[in-house]
Amino acid sequence: MSLRVMVVDDHPLWRDAVERDLAAAGLEVVAVAATGREALARFPAARPDVVVLDLQIPEPDGVQVTAAIARLDPSARVLILSASGEQADVLAAVTAGATGYLVKSASREELLDAVRRTAAGDAVFTPGLAGLVLGEFQRRSDEPDPGEAQLTDRETEVLKLVAKGLSYRQIAERLVLSHRTVQNHVQNTLRKLQMHNRVELTRYALERGLDDDS
Amino acid sequence: MSPSPAAVAVEDRLFRALAVLRLVVLANVVVLTVVRSGDVERPAAAAASLAVMTLWTGFAIWAYGEARRRTPALLVADLALAVALLLATPWVMRGDAGSLPGFWVIGALVAWAIHYRWVGGLVAGALLAAADLARQDVDRSDYGNAFLLVIGGAILGFMCQSLQEMATERDQAERAAAVAAERARLARAVHDGVLQVLALVQRRGRELGGEAAELGRLAGEQEGELRRLIRAQDAVVAGADDTVDLGAALVQLESRPGVTVSTPGTPVELSAGTARELVAAAQACLDNVHRHVGEDAPAWVLLQAFPDRVEVSVRDAGPGIPAGRLDAAAADGRLGVAESIRGRVADLGGTADLVTGSFGTEWELVVPRLGSGA
Repeated sequence: MSLRVMVVDDHPLWRDAVERDLAAAGLEVVAVAATGREALARFPAARPDVVVLDLQIPEPDGVQVTAAIARLDPSARVLILSASGEQADVLAAVTAGATGYLVKSASREELLDAVRRTAAGDAVFTPGLAGLVLGEFQRRSDEPDPGEAQLTDRETEVLKLVAKGLSYRQIAERLVLSHRTVQNHVQNTLRKLQMHNRVELTRYALERGLDDDS
Repeated sequence: MSPSPAAVAVEDRLFRALAVLRLVVLANVVVLTVVRSGDVERPAAAAASLAVMTLWTGFAIWAYGEARRRTPALLVADLALAVALLLATPWVMRGDAGSLPGFWVIGALVAWAIHYRWVGGLVAGALLAAADLARQDVDRSDYGNAFLLVIGGAILGFMCQSLQEMATERDQAERAAAVAAERARLARAVHDGVLQVLALVQRRGRELGGEAAELGRLAGEQEGELRRLIRAQDAVVAGADDTVDLGAALVQLESRPGVTVSTPGTPVELSAGTARELVAAAQACLDNVHRHVGEDAPAWVLLQAFPDRVEVSVRDAGPGIPAGRLDAAAADGRLGVAESIRGRVADLGGTADLVTGSFGTEWELVVPRLGSGA
């Protein structure tokens, strides 16, 4: 059974290119959407395994769509595909429940690989995202809040190697762990990040002034 | 000159405070006059004076309550009444009984200081002091009071002026910050659109090959450049005077082919000198990668910030340095690059460690964060 993918992007040329690449690789594009509203309207019927989501889309934005999808269907995976890689937005989207992140300048092969891995439940990190997540946990440990989960030393070590550009396979070799164990550590860091997502989202919304929806 | 809204707000608050003060000094003069009733020469005039002070106090509180009613006529009348009561003192009171309005004149003095700043405070203080001294039988403490009126009026006026100026400046700073934030928000939307197109051209170009591939390559270069600029711009907003964001400085290294820089996402503030040396050290590490692994060889720079130190690691995926080669180089005195990296970092009070293996070569630069406890 082929993977069911939904593509959300307000840029038609870009949306078509991604759709074409995915279809050519044998994946089934079950829906496309240009705005957050369209995405959320079409999501329930389309039931995609993976949503390839741009962050900068007309309201509600990518972060809010990610949070809504996580609520609607926790088994659906969200892969963020962002042009600007705006750091606060990327971190907010991952905190809201996205499990993968890729910049748009990635090649077609990288995109296909990322979609497949995201669908399989892997956390798809770029070194840049790993650096952001490390920074976020460091800030948490500087000002400990009993409600917020901290990383174990091993998780920090693995994440640090991801940020240094090592693949999971290379990390497994270097730390003498199994590939699966490395994947688990990375997934755990995401889970800990998302544990607090409602609080984080509220904070994000307040900072961005999204609460006074006009 | 029309005062800024912030300055008017400050004046409003000060006049509200003055309203309370006026009631206090009115109560004071009423009680004092009753207590000293033996010193009163003309009781009817004294009673009339108290009535006038009471009525004027009520009127003044209402009149000063709104900015548009604070006209020169009001202020002149306020001060003239206080001066007149002082001048009437010898006629109403006996001998050395002290002035008729007493501390009540403070109301007019402070009003002038608030509205006309230090000049107003000085003028009102001088007039009140002159009127007070014009009474007969002044003693040393009267001179002291007069002196305090003049000095106090000027100082009070100066402080009111400073408060209003500070409020105006704060207001302007807040407005500038709001404008900058809105501009940044708009810029983000514009940049995102441009980045989208550049990424798309890059992608399609790669697929089409030939001349289009060259176009795609150019688009890719511009995309990286623009993204770098955006991150550098974000750092400019956040940075303080003599500190810089090490993260933004390191991101500039991405202009080298194959280099990826990861940062914590929030500004890592360091003194400009320390940041410059650290970037130079990281650059030297990348020069090494360039020389030993290849021109476009991928390399990764990771910045981590801790409360007491920053860590910068530079890794390549090259074959690593064969065991013994570094020692041999050291023995020959040819450790130029490695030593210069270690030297730079040691000058900052930090350490630079080199790890090498099948995974490549990795520099770990650790520098303590000094001062400001940040």
